[in-house]
Amino acid sequence: MPLFGKSQKSPAEVVKALKEAVNALERGDKKVEKAQEDVSKNLVHIKNMLYGTAESEPQADIVVAQLAQELYNSNLLLLLVQNLGRIDFEGKKDVAQVFNNILRRQIGTRSPTVEYICTKPEILFTLMSGYEHQDIALNCGTMLRECARYEALAKIMIYSDDFYNFFRYVEVSTFDIASDAFSTFKELLTRHKILSAEFLEVNYDKVFSHYQRLLNSENYVTRRQSLKLLGELLLDRHNFSVMTRYISNPDNLKLMMNMLKEKSRNIQFEAFHVFKVFVANPNKPKPILDILLRNQEKLIEFLTRFHTDRSEDEQFNDEKAYLIKQIKELKSVHEN
Amino acid sequence: MDNRIAICDPDEDEVNNELFGDIEPVTWVNDDTNYDLDEINMAFHRVDSHQIIYEEKKKKCKLIGKYVMGDLLGEGSYGKVKEMLDSDTLCRRAVKILKKKKLRRIPNGEINVQREIQLLRTLKHKNVIDLVDVLYNDEKEKMYLVMEFCVGGLQDMLESMPHKKFPLWQGHGYFCQLIDGLEYLHSKGIVHKDIKPGNLLLTLDGTLKISDLGVAEALDMFAKDDTCTTGQGSPAFQPPEIANGCETFAGFKVDIWSSGVTLYNITTGEYPFEGDNIYKLYENIGKGEYTIPAEVEDPLKSLLQGMLQKDIDKRFTLQQIRQHPWTICRPPKTLEEVPIPPLRGDEWHTMTVLPYLMEHHYGVDNDPTYYTEHQLNEERKLQEMDRTSGEQKNACNSHYNKHITNHGKRRWRKPTSCISVKKFPSCKPS
Repeated sequence: MPLFGKSQKSPAEVVKALKEAVNALERGDKKVEKAQEDVSKNLVHIKNMLYGTAESEPQADIVVAQLAQELYNSNLLLLLVQNLGRIDFEGKKDVAQVFNNILRRQIGTRSPTVEYICTKPEILFTLMSGYEHQDIALNCGTMLRECARYEALAKIMIYSDDFYNFFRYVEVSTFDIASDAFSTFKELLTRHKILSAEFLEVNYDKVFSHYQRLLNSENYVTRRQSLKLLGELLLDRHNFSVMTRYISNPDNLKLMMNMLKEKSRNIQFEAFHVFKVFVANPNKPKPILDILLRNQEKLIEFLTRFHTDRSEDEQFNDEKAYLIKQIKELKSVHEN
Repeated sequence: MDNRIAICDPDEDEVNNELFGDIEPVTWVNDDTNYDLDEINMAFHRVDSHQIIYEEKKKKCKLIGKYVMGDLLGEGSYGKVKEMLDSDTLCRRAVKILKKKKLRRIPNGEINVQREIQLLRTLKHKNVIDLVDVLYNDEKEKMYLVMEFCVGGLQDMLESMPHKKFPLWQGHGYFCQLIDGLEYLHSKGIVHKDIKPGNLLLTLDGTLKISDLGVAEALDMFAKDDTCTTGQGSPAFQPPEIANGCETFAGFKVDIWSSGVTLYNITTGEYPFEGDNIYKLYENIGKGEYTIPAEVEDPLKSLLQGMLQKDIDKRFTLQQIRQHPWTICRPPKTLEEVPIPPLRGDEWHTMTVLPYLMEHHYGVDNDPTYYTEHQLNEERKLQEMDRTSGEQKNACNSHYNKHITNHGKRRWRKPTSCISVKKFPSCKPS
């Protein structure tokens, strides 16, 4: 080894060394500290190959290609993600950086790492379960969101059973983890419009029964965030058929009417933007019409006094006036 | 209190004389020899250009609401666009100043503006221009649309270059951002209907912003599909179905077509369809026949063909565009980046509000700067010379692009006066 500067290990050597160190860490022999140290050292080494340092440029494409190939062949990405909890604080961050860099690698129109992960979906499932563990949740989050940018990987994640765990993760008591999980959840449902529209359509019942629980959550932040996302999803034209289905269900209308009366003004306001879709629907099914008719007087009175201090917001006032007019003009189907 | 001394710079005249030394005296070509030109001139009072003195416009600080007004950024048929500074947040903004009088003269002017305001208020996306505030001045019949600050548009950049196109990698970056913004608009049920380089602006950090939703249409929330009936976009960017006068057409596919023309334009410097007048142009678009320049290679060529499909069912969807090899694969950064053209000589686009604030807080009223018509003419001549010599070089070699713009910048200097005004350090009574 040279006295000064970094040793010039080849990608194969570094990957082999890292793999041995992670294995030792996993076995948890007496030499844990040594293994810990080796893992961190080799991670820094790989990171520098990819990103370069203050003194050196990133390695040439050919070296990076070799490195990527070694990582695939050795199955090291999965191993790193599985043992993330055992790696020290800086090392965890390095894993995320290495992972994301390798993931973004492109050869022409191909993304080899994306193709590789498609054949090893355990990597994704392991990352998703990372939200169960406080010490690695946020690191897994950054890797997951990078994965979610690729349609093929997002598809694997949302169509898996593990996806429904997100409904639990977004409600955990640690605030930063819950909100990190929520942003990953949102990314998965909104990034690839066509993909998520299809997914919501096919899995409508399952998704929305879970979603209902978020809207009824004890946790104010969860209620508010999920209500806002619901509004965004329903008002996105890609989700047109999901929207029409959602606004045909009287239970959903009742829920929104209750949320209009919530204590929090922010929740009231978000609920208004979902409620308006029920009212604006030109083809209201009978059960929906019945609920609106039963509450016609009360709704008109309620909406007239609803957020009157938002005089600056023309859009809102126009919409409110429109809703009041619509509700006033509601007539029972039998009357005609 | 006048403590100024005016000194004429004696060197100035010599320099000018030298300049004129090369120029031969003008001889007038006159078919009537009896006509004495000098006699005619007698009828006019001749003023030497040295004697026309301008006073540099004072930077008078002006507030509109909480915004400090800056310099002019651009001008359109509706009115001016100026820079502003939000005095609360210190954010740079641009303001579109709309005059009721002018709007009335534009067909659908007022309705389009109202619609644009209403639409922009509901939108929030990285690649769609953000409407920050709307202010009214009923007395002056003016309307101020305060927007995100943009330094320029793709059209101005294209026009600043001899080939009127971007290097592929640069065009690719803008195109991907256009597709992101368009996907957002479409997801909100909005058909833009006027996608073209002139409506794509850039912020200082190079983020593309789709702007001008004046003729955009918001679909009804419950409309089954994207059927539209009116199109008022720019002719060269309209699809065959509009050129052929179809009564109804699919809105989203109109934006795909216009984005296709835009991509064609920014990567080749040409338009797929042309015509001496709008009828000829529409006739050509209606046929849907065009050629792609031979130098356009395959992934890009097939993308253009997919977007510029006469048959709307065969025309690409945004999804197909996203998955197209040319979109996925970023071209290598080979040629120099086309810069945003400098604004009045300032390539850095520094904040123009600052001089107004300086003047307001530290300014002394009695030190105006003067310059003469003669100097202005000289300056214009210099710039003209730079430009023509630049164009000649450009014609020979496109690699000179960068140098020439630099060259032009170096020569440009602010008109300074031959009457240099010296001021004694004044002691202000406290």
